[in-house]
Amino acid sequence: MSDKNIAIFGYGNHGRFIAKGLHEDGLRVTIVESDKTFYKEAKADGFEEVFLLDVTKDDALKKIDFAVFNKLVCVMDDEHLNVFLTLSLRSLFQDAYILSVSDSLNVTKKLKMAGANKVIDLYEVSANKIYNILEKPVATRLLENFANNREGITFREMVIPENSFVDGKMADDIDFASYGVLLVGMIDVELGHSFVFVTAGISHKLDSGDTIVCIGDKEKLKAFETLLSKKEN
Amino acid sequence: MNHILLSIALYLHRSSSYKKTKQFARDLLFNSNNRYKRYFDMTIIFLVISSVFILVYEVKHPVPAWLDNYDIYFVSVVFAVEYLLRLWVHNDVSEMIIKEYNDANFLAKEFHLNLVIKKALSEKLKYMLTPSAIVDLLAILPAYRPLRILRVFILFRVFKLLRYTKSINQFVDVIVNKKFELLTLLFLLVFIVFTSGIGIYILEADKNPQIHTLFDGIYWAIVTISTVGYGDISPVTDVGRAISVLIILAGIAMISFVTSVIVSAFSEKLGELKEHRIIEQLNKNRSIIILCGYGQLTKMFFRQKREHPSNYLIMDKDINRVNAAIKDGYVAIQDDASSFQTLRKFDATHCEITMLCMTSSDVENIYITLNAKSISKKIKVISRVNDPENVNKFHYAGADELLLPHKVANTMIYTAITQPTMYKAIHAILTGKSIANIDEIHVHQSHGIVDMPIEALDFKSHKLLFIGIERNGAFIFNPPSSEVIQPFDVLLVMGRKISLEYFKSKHEGSINVG
Repeated sequence: MSDKNIAIFGYGNHGRFIAKGLHEDGLRVTIVESDKTFYKEAKADGFEEVFLLDVTKDDALKKIDFAVFNKLVCVMDDEHLNVFLTLSLRSLFQDAYILSVSDSLNVTKKLKMAGANKVIDLYEVSANKIYNILEKPVATRLLENFANNREGITFREMVIPENSFVDGKMADDIDFASYGVLLVGMIDVELGHSFVFVTAGISHKLDSGDTIVCIGDKEKLKAFETLLSKKEN
Repeated sequence: MNHILLSIALYLHRSSSYKKTKQFARDLLFNSNNRYKRYFDMTIIFLVISSVFILVYEVKHPVPAWLDNYDIYFVSVVFAVEYLLRLWVHNDVSEMIIKEYNDANFLAKEFHLNLVIKKALSEKLKYMLTPSAIVDLLAILPAYRPLRILRVFILFRVFKLLRYTKSINQFVDVIVNKKFELLTLLFLLVFIVFTSGIGIYILEADKNPQIHTLFDGIYWAIVTISTVGYGDISPVTDVGRAISVLIILAGIAMISFVTSVIVSAFSEKLGELKEHRIIEQLNKNRSIIILCGYGQLTKMFFRQKREHPSNYLIMDKDINRVNAAIKDGYVAIQDDASSFQTLRKFDATHCEITMLCMTSSDVENIYITLNAKSISKKIKVISRVNDPENVNKFHYAGADELLLPHKVANTMIYTAITQPTMYKAIHAILTGKSIANIDEIHVHQSHGIVDMPIEALDFKSHKLLFIGIERNGAFIFNPPSSEVIQPFDVLLVMGRKISLEYFKSKHEGSINVG
């Protein structure tokens, strides 16, 4: 996954943990800081690409081409600065995917208004997780594993190629289970770009170009993906 | 004689049924967690109330004989039995004898049975002289028929109620706390009453036709100082009137003083009393959740648009945060969750306790975890970990589940980067917000689907996606459709909430016929 590039703005309270975690997950992490002490700490923690910039100045931000990064993650300690940074980045790089981390409800709203594509509210997701642990402990643990991509069973999205054997068939008519995978949902191009779960109760016609999301063993998923490109079998 | 007593003591010491019976009696009388104590308490309260009712009714109306017998014999016998039980469980005479005998043997000195028995009996006597024991004894007395005056002692039965009502006990506790102030005031009161009573007697006994004895003088002083002032005795001389003016003023001052002492004692204790009540109420539930710390995470926990847990309690050391929580409408108390005393108040043996350590300090969270686990291994602890380096320490401390806010965020960022399409789906599934709920179905022994093959369950027509089974800790993904459901399996199923609920209710508890 080394082709995945992310820039993290801020190496403070939350930033350092997120940076370390993402680094462990095998992503290429670039850190941008405006505070000298945090900058030094990032260096000391072994990150190679660390920049010290005044993030409030557009000129400074322009020096680095942030458009090459897959994601820009804003986690400045100062919430005012974080909102300002999100706003600056949005105005400078219209197409960038900006992900901001917030730690309170009010800031979440402001970050969204500032143009963040996605705002992760640290405490909201954690609070959700507590609920999940309390209500459905087994499902939560298993799902974590699926989502983390680390164990055998995982999710995978695949695009149905042209002339695939499933092309033109109804989703209900295909026995996914016999391939060792389960269909979770799909993006049906005919019906717009929203994600539809199979459990919504509507049978979809599978066409080439649709994206389907399956769950299953990693190897089985791979095998199924190659199988998809075959014509009739 | 010595020999016989000793062998009886030995026999009781060895008899497990004797110990069991005694323990049961002790539980019944004192342990508020005992299942039967409530019924026992209610019976006693009913007996007291009915007995007093009969006493009052009797004054003007003839009472049927059976009712009279019930009052005199049945109630009294029950009370006598209760009194004896209390006396019996107060201490263990047989144990004391055995211990003394063993000690004497060990030290090779002479064994004096008399001394031990004397000691044991003096302990019993000490108990008999406590106010509550005296009330118990007096409550039995009305059973003695020849002395009708003893009927009045039925009123002592009312005092028995004190033991069975907690609020009055707490009131007494509060009063006892202010013993010093109240005793000082009482002493002052007695002093004033006696001096002015004696004064009026000396000054007016020969001039005032209403004052004959010293008792009249003291009676007048009390009636006056209490500001009741019946007016049946009133001073006739100027000096006597001057005395009454003085003691009326003293009386007003003293009454307000006493009132303020009691009120302040209550306001000091109010928080504690409230806390006590809250914990007591909680302990009645089968499962409770204790949230430690009222910070961002706790606030968020409650802001989720889901059903709030009903039996929860927020605990924080900081009174400001507790007030904030109460202001936000939650049940919160100010207490230190890392203290043994605090957590011991919760009934860990009868309720399932889940502790959520949500403070922003790892040190604090670890300490609370250890504290909870030291009270009972049964307490489930879910702890927030701020620094991933501490994860191991939390595992050693025995936390059941760990929650790393940064890690959760990491997972989401990671998914957002590696699986952009999936991101929304996974996010939706993880947060349980959308139509795609992943839920688990716990199969218990009497569950209707036990022994059924998966194909018979027909998940598809229920619009559910069956993902797999967790069995004995291992997860079986997409098992073959001929797989048979076993008791204690956990089925992982995805679908809309209503489909899941419908499926669950359809199979829940129904006995599989055929």
